[in-house]
Amino acid sequence: MNSAIELLAPRYDIAWYPWAVQYFFMIALSYASLWLAAPALVAGRSAWLPTARLALLACLTTTLVAPVALLADLHQPLRFWHFYAYANGHSWMSVGSLLLPLYVVAVIVLTWLAWRPALQARRQAPGLSGLVARWASLGTSPTPRALPVLVGVIALALSTGIMLYTGAEVAIVKARPLWHTVWLPPMFVATGFIAAAGLLLVLNRASGLRDASVVGQLLKVMLVACLAAGLIAGSWFLDGINAHVGSVAAALESVRGSPEWRRTAQWGALTGALLFGAVLYLLTRPAARRPALYAWAWLLGLVALHVGWMFRWVVLMDVQTVARHSAGFHHYGIPAGSSGVLGIVGTFGLWLAAIMLIELFVPWRQARQGGSAADVPRESVRESSSDSSQEHAPEGASHHG
Amino acid sequence: MDPIRRSLLGQLARLSAGAAMVPLTSVARAGINQQPPRREGDPSKRYGMLIDLRQCIGCQACTVSCHIENAAPLGSFRTTVSQYEVAHQESGEVATFMLPRLCNHCENPACVPVCPVEATYQRQDGIVVVDSDRCVGCAYCVNACPYDARFINARTQTADKCTFCAHRLEAGLLPACVESCVGGARIIGDMRDPDSQISRMIEEYRDELMVLQPEKNTLPQVFYLGMDERFVTRPEAKPVALDVLDPHGKEMGYEFGH
Repeated sequence: MNSAIELLAPRYDIAWYPWAVQYFFMIALSYASLWLAAPALVAGRSAWLPTARLALLACLTTTLVAPVALLADLHQPLRFWHFYAYANGHSWMSVGSLLLPLYVVAVIVLTWLAWRPALQARRQAPGLSGLVARWASLGTSPTPRALPVLVGVIALALSTGIMLYTGAEVAIVKARPLWHTVWLPPMFVATGFIAAAGLLLVLNRASGLRDASVVGQLLKVMLVACLAAGLIAGSWFLDGINAHVGSVAAALESVRGSPEWRRTAQWGALTGALLFGAVLYLLTRPAARRPALYAWAWLLGLVALHVGWMFRWVVLMDVQTVARHSAGFHHYGIPAGSSGVLGIVGTFGLWLAAIMLIELFVPWRQARQGGSAADVPRESVRESSSDSSQEHAPEGASHHG
Repeated sequence: MDPIRRSLLGQLARLSAGAAMVPLTSVARAGINQQPPRREGDPSKRYGMLIDLRQCIGCQACTVSCHIENAAPLGSFRTTVSQYEVAHQESGEVATFMLPRLCNHCENPACVPVCPVEATYQRQDGIVVVDSDRCVGCAYCVNACPYDARFINARTQTADKCTFCAHRLEAGLLPACVESCVGGARIIGDMRDPDSQISRMIEEYRDELMVLQPEKNTLPQVFYLGMDERFVTRPEAKPVALDVLDPHGKEMGYEFGH
């Protein structure tokens, strides 16, 4: 049999396009950053408030962009209403299509509740930002603290459903042995948290907040997520060499049969180990040296985003190039158009536009767990307080480190 | 690796995070991804196909006639015949193995329960079809089919697949591939009718028949006679046709790999 040659077989195109990667990436950033906003906005832990503000910004923007990418992956996007007209409870995708809008609404409401006091404080501002604040704050009544807690709990519950369905949707596909493993859904979640912590590190730097306590908290989240991902990957592999598990067997076969897969596996292992090592290194430095080192943590944030995105790319795109019924691997070159590069760039562009619009019109830096306009420090005060928080960065770091 | 070490490693894997995942999987198996009820079609019939590989000469008449009958876009196939060059391990003698492939109209089709809008469904006569007016083109079914039997039709932008030529069966005609098969290798019929040719052949060759990828538990209803069991799963073969790319990564054509 070793000498069998496949003379004739059709070429099978991939069925899910890079849009799927963008959706899985964005929605993972969304649910993971929601959980990073939860300690302050749901549980009322004020030490986590600066992280929560960044997390909420990340969560809302990715939650808005993710469904766009999902819709774009349909070959008949205008028929999206069929999901609701002909819902099929037997399909994980259908379950997801029912969960997703509820989740998006819950996130929007939670964000609005958290931003409302700051918007109310801006009602008198001149120009467009005052107009937006007056329109978006819907009156001057105070926001009860119980409301963000309640909506937050609902959003967290729905986000668990999103984690479950996005993972299960892929993991139940027996036809692709590499997907068909119970370890895939938790791995999506773990790498989602790695990427979300990375995104917040980058936002912490890019927004100019440069809060060292935020860096400390996010590095710890990343460490735990890296450990979880390592444990999951290890368990998957151990399970596979113990018994004949299709997923591991298929992975080993792919790695044996293809130099590209070998490189992918090496790159994944190397980047993961590097990220974990670097995070551990930063967290174990003496308190005095941390501020100088933490200023560079955003670079690790970029690595973490790379890990989260690449994992999804390899799982969703590369696995589709492993022939399942014929010999070898299918060639896939990323097309330049909307089903390829343009789609990838476009999704990130849309996300960037959402971030910039919010930065322009919404005082997201003053998000809080309910309250009224009077609870929000004046913006000029906020400027100086953020300056002082930079000066006191070492203190914050040692406190939370 | 020796068995004791193997089982120890396995225990470790289960101890780690495995325990937490077990209840989740049993919940997932309870209702979601089960087969929805079948609809339409004649419940008194169950269509199936038997392919007598001893009669197949790999002429691709079925591929061509199907393409014409069902107007599939160029490069996409509802049925096709894979061909393999197999060398005998000792003598080095070379032979060609033909493997006609099409939708298996499985008894437990993996493609049907995944459809989020029930656009693809199984008729009561066992034929799996797609309602292209309802299909949203999510391509979930394309990924779910282990047999590469489905594709997204570039013209309709919906899922497309073999229907056993249901429109021809209803008019009392044979499917295009069966009609055109020069060797009479493809036999289609009602497996609930004990006197049909397919029922008689299934009875006669019961022990010799094989289906593709039985381990996927899809219970295919296309049976192969004269099959080599090494081709039942993904064949361990070298692909011969390689893409030839220009410097920009654009496909220029194919060439033979040896």
